Amino acid sequence: MTSTIDAAPVVTDAPQERPDPPSARWWRLAAALGVLIAFIWGVSGLDIGADALRRAPGNIWRIIELSWPPDFPAVLERGALGKVFESVYIAWIGTVIAAVFSLPLAFLASNNVVPAWIRIPIRQLFIIIRAFPELILATIFLAVVGLGPWAGALAIGFSSIGTLGKWSSESIEEVDDGPVEAIQASGGTWLSGIRWGLLPQVFPTIVAHWLFRFEINVRASAIFGLIGAGGIGGEISSQVQFRNWQNVSAVLIMVVVMVLVIDGISGAVRRRILAGSDRGSAEASTEALGDLGGFLTRRRPTAPGSDA
Amino acid sequence: MRLAGMAMADTDVADPTVSATVRPRKPRLRARTVLIAAGVIAFTVYSAQQSGWEWGSFITVWTNPLWQRFWPIDWEFVLDRNNVLDPLIETFQIAIVATVIGCLLAMPIGFMMSQLTAPNRPTFIIVRSIMNVVRAIPDLLLAVILVAAVSIGAFGGAIALTVFSTAVLVKLFSETIDGADPRPLEAALAAGGRHTAAVRAGVLPEVFPAYVAYSAYVFELNVRASVVIGLVGGGGIGRVIEAQRQFFRYDRILGILIVIFVIVMIIEQISDAIRRRVL
Repeated sequence: MTSTIDAAPVVTDAPQERPDPPSARWWRLAAALGVLIAFIWGVSGLDIGADALRRAPGNIWRIIELSWPPDFPAVLERGALGKVFESVYIAWIGTVIAAVFSLPLAFLASNNVVPAWIRIPIRQLFIIIRAFPELILATIFLAVVGLGPWAGALAIGFSSIGTLGKWSSESIEEVDDGPVEAIQASGGTWLSGIRWGLLPQVFPTIVAHWLFRFEINVRASAIFGLIGAGGIGGEISSQVQFRNWQNVSAVLIMVVVMVLVIDGISGAVRRRILAGSDRGSAEASTEALGDLGGFLTRRRPTAPGSDA
Repeated sequence: MRLAGMAMADTDVADPTVSATVRPRKPRLRARTVLIAAGVIAFTVYSAQQSGWEWGSFITVWTNPLWQRFWPIDWEFVLDRNNVLDPLIETFQIAIVATVIGCLLAMPIGFMMSQLTAPNRPTFIIVRSIMNVVRAIPDLLLAVILVAAVSIGAFGGAIALTVFSTAVLVKLFSETIDGADPRPLEAALAAGGRHTAAVRAGVLPEVFPAYVAYSAYVFELNVRASVVIGLVGGGGIGRVIEAQRQFFRYDRILGILIVIFVIVMIIEQISDAIRRRVL
C-alpha cells in the first residue's frame, strides 16, 4: 500500500515524457476470463429458468409489501422479546464455556510455552473443530442433549473453542519473552512464569477476542432456533411457515436491533479493555471510558424486561 | 471471571516515577472492579439458568450412545457420485454465483461507503446505514426468508448469499478505501477529472489488490455458508446432510463432512495463494 506514497514525489525541472501506460498483463485477462467461465458454469448449474429470474424481483417486492407494517404487538404477545434475550443468554453461556476451555488449551498450543509434541496435536484439535460448520454441530448436540437452549449453548461453546484457541495462542506467541525469562532466572516455576510473565501481557487481548467471539455467537444463536436449539430463530422459522410476513418483519427487526446493540456494547468494552492496556494513549482511554459509561447506563433499562 | 477482575486491577499498577529498587505497591482492589466482576458473574449465572445449564451434560455428551452411529463411515454412500459429489458441485455453483455478483455489487457500494470517495454526504450516510443494518441480519435467517419468498432450492440460497457477501465485502473494502492515500484523488480532481474518473484513476489502482484479496476471502466464507444453507432449504450438500440427519445416519454425515473439510482446506490454500500474490 505504501508503494504509491513512495513513488509520488518525483520532482524534476526537465519536462518529462508522458509515461507509457502499463501494458495489460496477460494474467489479468486470463483471471477475468476464468471468473467469467466459472460464473457461467455456476449459473448453469443452479437451474434458474428465465421465468424464475423474471419473477424473482416481483416476488421479493411482494413479500416486502406484505411485511409492512411490522406487527410488533402480535410477536410480543407470543413472547418474542424473551426469545431474543434467550438468544443472548445462549450466546453468552456458549462464549463462557469456550473461554474456560480455550484459555488453558491456548497456552498449550503456543510455541513459547510448550514443546512441539504437545503443541501440534492441540493445534490440530483447533483446526478440526473449526472445520465443522456450527449449525451441523448444533444438530449433533440437539440429538445428544435434546431440544432446547442448552444444546445451542453447548454447540456454540464447543465450536468457539476452535477459533478462540487459535486467536489466543497467536496472541500468546506474540508477547515479549523478557518477563518469563526474568521469572525463570529468579527461580520461578513454569506455571508462575505463565501466570505472572505471560498472562498479564495477553489477558486484555484474549478478553477482547472473547467479546468479539460473543458478537459472532449472538448471530449464530439467533440462527440456531431454526433447528430447534432455542432462541429467536425458531420464531422466524415458524412465522415464515405461517407466511405471516408482518410478524416475520417484526421479529427480524428485533434481531437486527439485538445484534446492533450487542455489537455496540461489546465493541465499546473491547475498545476500553484494549485502550486500558495501552497506557500511552490516555485520550483513547478516556474516550473508551465514556463508552463504558454508556454501556452501563444502556444495560440497566433492558434488565427488567428480560423476564418476559 | 475472577481473572477478569485481576487483570483490570493490573492495568493501573505501574508508576514510572517510582525507583526500580522499591518494590511497587500492590494494586488496590477498587470498588468499580468488584462491581463489574459481580455484574458479569451475576449475568453469567442468570444466563446459565435461562439456557438450562446442566453440569452432567459435560460428561453425558461424550458417553452418549449416539456417537457410535458416527462409525464406521459409510464410504460407499459418500463416494457415490449422485449422493455427495453432485450436490457438492451445486454448493460450489451457489458459492461462485453469489461471490461474483456480490463482489461486483460491492465495488460501487464500497466507494459510496467511504468518506474519501463518496459522491456526496447524503449518499454516504444512507448507504452506510443500510449496509450496517443488512450486515446485522444473520445470514441463515435471510436465507430462510428468501427461500420462502423466491423458491426452495439453489436460487433462493444464492440470492441470500449474494446479499451476505455484498455486505461483508463492502465493509472490508470501504475500510481499505478509507485508508488509501488521498493525494492521487486530489490530483485527479485538481486536473479537472469528473468524480467517477478521478476515483477510477486516483483510488482504484491502490485498493484493487485488497479488493481481489477480500473477494477470495468472501469466496471462502461463501463455500462454508453454502454448505449449511441447504439445511434451511437452500439447496446443495446441506440438503443431503439434513436428509441423513433425520435418519440419524451420522456415519454418512461424518463422511460428507470429511469430504467438505478436505475441499475447504484446498480452497483456503488457493485463496491464501491468491492473497499472497496480489498483496
